[in-house]
Amino acid sequence: MEALLEARQVSKRYGREWVLRRIELSLKPGGIVALVGPNGSGKTTLLYVLAGLLRPTRGSVLRRGQVGLLSSPPAFYRHFTGEENLLFQLRLSGLEQRRREIPELLARVGLPLGKRVFEYSSGMKKRLGLAQLLLFRPAILLLDEPEAALDAQGQELIEVLLHEQTQSGGGVVLATHDPRWWGRAEACLTLERRR
Amino acid sequence: MIGQAPKPRLLARSFWLAWRDLVLELRGRSGLLAAVFFLATVLLILGLALGPAPRQLAQAAPGVLWVALALAGSLLANRAFGLEVEDGTLEQLLLLPGEREWIYFGKLLFQFSLQVSVGLVLLVLTAGLFYLPLAAWPGIILTLVLGSLGYASISTFYAGLLVRLRGREVLLPLLLFPLVVPVVLAAVRATAGLAQGDWSEVGAWWRLLGSFDVIYVTVCALLFPGILEGG
Repeated sequence: MEALLEARQVSKRYGREWVLRRIELSLKPGGIVALVGPNGSGKTTLLYVLAGLLRPTRGSVLRRGQVGLLSSPPAFYRHFTGEENLLFQLRLSGLEQRRREIPELLARVGLPLGKRVFEYSSGMKKRLGLAQLLLFRPAILLLDEPEAALDAQGQELIEVLLHEQTQSGGGVVLATHDPRWWGRAEACLTLERRR
Repeated sequence: MIGQAPKPRLLARSFWLAWRDLVLELRGRSGLLAAVFFLATVLLILGLALGPAPRQLAQAAPGVLWVALALAGSLLANRAFGLEVEDGTLEQLLLLPGEREWIYFGKLLFQFSLQVSVGLVLLVLTAGLFYLPLAAWPGIILTLVLGSLGYASISTFYAGLLVRLRGREVLLPLLLFPLVVPVVLAAVRATAGLAQGDWSEVGAWWRLLGSFDVIYVTVCALLFPGILEGG
C-alpha cells in the first residue's frame, strides 16, 4: 500500500543547531504515527516540515493528499466568530456550498454560535480547530498536542476524529506527551532533546 | 470522502481573501483610523505652514497630496500581513491547497483598496485646504488609482517578504521607498498638470504609471510564492 506521507532522511537546522537529524517516517492509509519526546526535542518542527510549512535543510518529504494541521494553540482570526472563521476557510478553498454544515459541526464540537474568537478559551479554540479538521477532512492529519487544554468531553472528540480518520483511509501523525495515545499508534517515533 | 481536492479559482480566492481582510480591518479599526487621523494632521500643518494665499496653496497641492499618499502607503504597508501576524494565522493560508499566487493577488487587492480609500479622503481634504480645482478631480482620481496600484504592488510584496522578521516595521519603508520613487514622481507630475489645466504631458505620465503597474504586478506575482516558504 502506498504511503500517504513519507519523510526521507529529513534534517532541519536553525542557525548552527540541528533540531532534527535524519528522520525517517512513513504514514500508511488508516495509520497513526505518534511523535514522542520531551519539550524542545523538535516534535512541532517536524510537524511543520511534514506539513510543508518549513523547508527541510536536508532530505525530502513526500505528501499524497491534502494536509490538515491542528497546531498548539490553534490560530484563528480573533475578530471573527467561529462560524465566520470556518466560512472564510471554505470560501478560500472554493467550497462555499458547504456552509450549511457549519452550525451543525459547531454544535457537534460544543461551541456556541455568534461568539467572537477573542472571547474563546484555549479549549474552545482547540475545539474550533477540531471542527475545521472535521469540515475539510484532509487525508493527512497532523496534530500537535491535541489533548492540551481540552476537557474529558473534548478528548472524546479527538478519539472520534482519529477513529473516523483511520476508518476512512486517512492517516494521522500526532505529537503528544500523553501515553494514552501512544498505544493507539502503529508506530512511535522518539525524538531526543537536542544539546 | 477524505482529502477532497478543491478546484483552485484564482479570482474568487483572491476576492474572498481581500474581502475577509477588509472586514477584519474595519472590525479592528485601530490601524486605519490612526493613519487617517495622522495624515489629516499632516495636511493641516502643511496648509498652515504655507500661509493663506490661495495661489501658493494651489501650486503646492499636488506635492502635498502625494507626500500624504506616500506616507499613507508607508503606514498601511504592514497591514497586508499585519492581520496574519497579529492572529498567527499565516500557516492557515499556506496550508490551503494550490499555488500561492492568489495570496499575493488577494493581499494586493486589500492593500490597494485601503490605499485608494485613504487616498480619496486625502483628496477631499487637500481639495478643501489647498484649492484643488473640481474639474481636475476625475483625472486626479485616475492618477490616484494608477499610483496606488504601483505602490501597493511593491508594498504587498515586501510585506510578504518580511512577514517573519521582527524589525519589519522599520525595514519595510527602507526597502519600499527606492522602488516607489518613480511611481510617486510620475503621479506628482500628472497631478500637477491636471491641477494647472495643462494636459500636454499628463498622458505620458499616465502611460508611465501604467507601465510601472504592469511590470511591478507581474514580477511580484511571479516571485511571491517562493518568498512565503519558511526557511
